[in-house]
Amino acid sequence: MAAEGGIFTFAPAIAVLPFVSFLIALSAGRYMPKKGAFAGIAATGGSLLLSLLMVAQVASGHAHHMELYTWVGGEGVPFELTFGILLDQLSTLMLVIVSTIAFLVHVFSLGYMNDEGEPGLPRYYAELGLFTASMLAFVFSDNILMAFMFFELVGLCSYLLIGFWFRRSGPPSAAKKAFLVTRFGDYFFLIGVVGIFATFGTGMFGGPGVEESFPVLAEEAMSAMAAGEAMPEAVTTFFGLSPGAWFGVLGLLVLGGVMGKSAQFPFHTWLPDAMEGPTPVSALIHAATMVAAGVYLVARMYGFYALLPTLLAIIAFVGGFTALFAATMGVVKDEIKQVLAYSTISQYGYIMLGLGGGGYVAGVFHLTTHAFFKALLFLGAGSVIIAMHHNEDMWEMGGLKDRMPVTYYAFLSGSLALAGIVPFSGFWSKDEVLYETLVHGLGGSPILLGAYLMGIVAVFFTGFYTFRMVLLTFHGDPRSDLAEDPEPVRWNVKIPLAILGTLAAVVGVINLVPVHAVVGAVPEFLHDWLFHGPETLNGAHYEELTEQFAGYSAGAIPGLGGLGTLFASAGVSLAVALAGSALALGLYRGPDPAEHTEKLGALKTVLYNNYYQDEYQVWLAQDLTEGTVAGTAKRFDDGVVDGLVNRVSDVSLVSGYFLRRVQTGIVSNYAALITLGLVVLLVAFGIMGGWFGGVFA
Amino acid sequence: MAVPVQYYLVLSAAIFCIGLFGILTRRNALMFLMSVELMLNAANINFVAFSFQHGNLTGQVFSLFTMALAAAEVAVGIGIVLVLYRNFADVDVTKATTLRW
Repeated sequence: MAAEGGIFTFAPAIAVLPFVSFLIALSAGRYMPKKGAFAGIAATGGSLLLSLLMVAQVASGHAHHMELYTWVGGEGVPFELTFGILLDQLSTLMLVIVSTIAFLVHVFSLGYMNDEGEPGLPRYYAELGLFTASMLAFVFSDNILMAFMFFELVGLCSYLLIGFWFRRSGPPSAAKKAFLVTRFGDYFFLIGVVGIFATFGTGMFGGPGVEESFPVLAEEAMSAMAAGEAMPEAVTTFFGLSPGAWFGVLGLLVLGGVMGKSAQFPFHTWLPDAMEGPTPVSALIHAATMVAAGVYLVARMYGFYALLPTLLAIIAFVGGFTALFAATMGVVKDEIKQVLAYSTISQYGYIMLGLGGGGYVAGVFHLTTHAFFKALLFLGAGSVIIAMHHNEDMWEMGGLKDRMPVTYYAFLSGSLALAGIVPFSGFWSKDEVLYETLVHGLGGSPILLGAYLMGIVAVFFTGFYTFRMVLLTFHGDPRSDLAEDPEPVRWNVKIPLAILGTLAAVVGVINLVPVHAVVGAVPEFLHDWLFHGPETLNGAHYEELTEQFAGYSAGAIPGLGGLGTLFASAGVSLAVALAGSALALGLYRGPDPAEHTEKLGALKTVLYNNYYQDEYQVWLAQDLTEGTVAGTAKRFDDGVVDGLVNRVSDVSLVSGYFLRRVQTGIVSNYAALITLGLVVLLVAFGIMGGWFGGVFA
Repeated sequence: MAVPVQYYLVLSAAIFCIGLFGILTRRNALMFLMSVELMLNAANINFVAFSFQHGNLTGQVFSLFTMALAAAEVAVGIGIVLVLYRNFADVDVTKATTLRW
C-alpha cells in the first residue's frame, strides 16, 4: 500500500496533525510560549502543505481512496462500517481551503488573543486544533457515517469555541443555541444516515476502488424504474414508496442536517448569536469549517441529489430565499460582526442556490471564493475590533481608513468581493451561481426562475449592506474617541489580512467563465478540475444526471443565444450590485453620515427584530412544545400511566388497612382461631370423607 | 381383666378438652402452661393406651419423648412468663399485645 499509495500514505496526517496540536495545547499548552499557539500554527501549516501535495498528486494522477479501519463488519453482518479516506478533486480542494483558513486564523489569533492578554489560551488553542482536525476529517470522509461523526465533532467544537468566554452572560447562551439548533437538524441527518444504510447497505460516497456506493446504487434504481425493470437487489425501499419518493425522503432527512449547519432558513437563527465567540473563531466557523460543512455535504453527495428534481428545487428555493431573507436583515444592523453574520447566511444561501440550480461547479466555486473573502472580512473586523478596544458598534467608528490602511485595503478587497463587483473573486462565483440557475430555469425548469429572482434581488441588498458597513467603519470623520486614536495592530494581524486580501481579489481566476467564453485560451481551472474527478464523482457525471433525471438543460434568453445570456446574466448581477452599492454610497457618504433606518418606519422594527424568527422559535419550543404538548403528555402520564398503578396500589392499601384489624395481639384469640379452624377443617374433611355415615352426602 | 381402650380415649379426650378450655378462657400465663401440659398428657394417654392395645412398645417410648419435650417446653415457657412479668408487671397474656401492627 505504501509503495502504491505514495504521498497518499500521509493523508491521515492532515487531520491527525491538528489533533496532535489539540493534545499538546491541552496538556502542555500553559508551559509553552504563546500558550500552545505555535503547536497549532505548525500543525495547520503542515496540514496545508500536505493538502497542497495531495492536490498536486490528484492533479498528476487520479483520485485516491483508502480504507483505514473497519469497526463493524465480517460474516453475517449486513453491512460494514468503516473509516476511510477519499481524496478526489472536491475533497482536496476543500482540504486546501480549510487548512489555509485555519492556518491564517491561528496566526491571527496571536494578535487577537495573545496580544490582548486573554486568559484560558491553552483551552482556546486546544479547541481550535480539535475544530480544525474534525473539519479536515469530515472533508476527507469516504462514507456518510464517518462524515456524520465528524460533522457532530465540528458542532461540538463550535459550541465550545462560541462559549469560550463562558464567564460572561452572552456566550454560553449563544453556544447553547448554536448547539441545539444545529443538533435539531442533525437529528434528521442521523435518521437519514440510518435510512441510507438500511436502503443501500452502504454509506460510501464512491471513488476509485469502491465497489458499491449509495449515489450509484440510487442512480441504478432510478434508471431501472424508469426503464420499467426490476430494482437492483442491493436497494430496498420502505413504506411502499417508489425509489424516487423514498430517496427524496432520505435526501430531505440529510438536508435537515445541512440546513442546520449551513444556517439556512429556518435554522439560521443560531448564526448571528454565534458572533459572541472570539472573532478569529467566527472567521473559522463562517468561512471554512462549521457552516461550510453543510453545503460541502451536499456537494459531496451531489450524485444523489442530482437524481431528485424535487430536492434540487427545494435546495434552490431554500438557498434563494435564505440569501434574500438574510440580506434584508443585514441592512439595518449596527454592529460590524452582525452585518457579517447575516452576509454569511446570505452567501451560503447562494451556494445552496447554485447547487440546487444544477450548478455543481458554481456552488463549489462560490464556496471557495466565499471562504477566502469571508475569512478576510471577519479577520478585518477583528482587526477593527482590536483597534476599537472591543467596541463593535459601527456608529462609534468612522475615519479608520487613514489610521489602519492595511486593514482598510484588505477589508475593501473583501467587501468588493462580497458585493460582487468585477473583477473581485465574489463577482465571478456569484455570477456563475446566478447564471447556472438562470439557464436551467430557462431551459425547462421554470421553477428555478423564482429562486433566481430572489437571488438577484438579494444581490442589491448585499451591495447595499456591504458598502454601508465599509463607509460607516472606515470613512467619514471619527465618531468617538476610540476611533480618533485606535490601538495599532501588529504583523500577526496584518499578514493574514494581506494574504487573504490578495486571495479575495484574485482567487476568481480559477474559473473565469465569461472570459473563457470569449477567449478560449483562458482556462476554467475549477471547471476542468472538478470535471476530471473520479468516475461517478465528477462534474460531467453530475451534469448528465441532472439532465437525465431532473430534466435540467441549459436554455437561453430568447434572442440572445448562449453567449448573450451569459453576458446578460453577468451584466444584470453586476448592475444590481452596483446599484445597491451606489445607494449605500449616496446615503452614507460624507464626513458625518446620518442614520437612515428611521425612514423604514414599521419595517425597521421588523428588521431589527430579525422578522421575529427568534420569538416564534422560542414560542414553538416553550409555549407550544413545553407548555401544550409536554403538558398534555404529563397529564396523560400522571393520570393514566401513573394513575392506573396508583389505583391498584390504593386497593391493596385500603384492604390491608381493614384486614390488619384481624391481628389483635391477644394470644387467646389466636388460640381460639386455631381451634376453630381445626374444627372447621375436621368437619369439612368429615363431610367430604363421609364419616357421618352419609348424613350430609 | 383389661380396661377397654374406649375408656382411655374418653379420659384422654376429656383431659384434652379441659386443657383446651383452659387455653381459651384463662388469662394467666401460668394457667396457660398448665393447660398445655394437660393437652400434652392427654396425647400421652392415647399413646400408652394404643401401645397397650397393639402390644408393642413404640407408643410408650413415644410418650417418653413427649414428656421430655414437655419438660423443655415448660422450661422455655417459664422463661417467657418471667420476661412477661418483668416487662408488664403482670402475667396476663392479653396485655402483651405490643408486637402487633
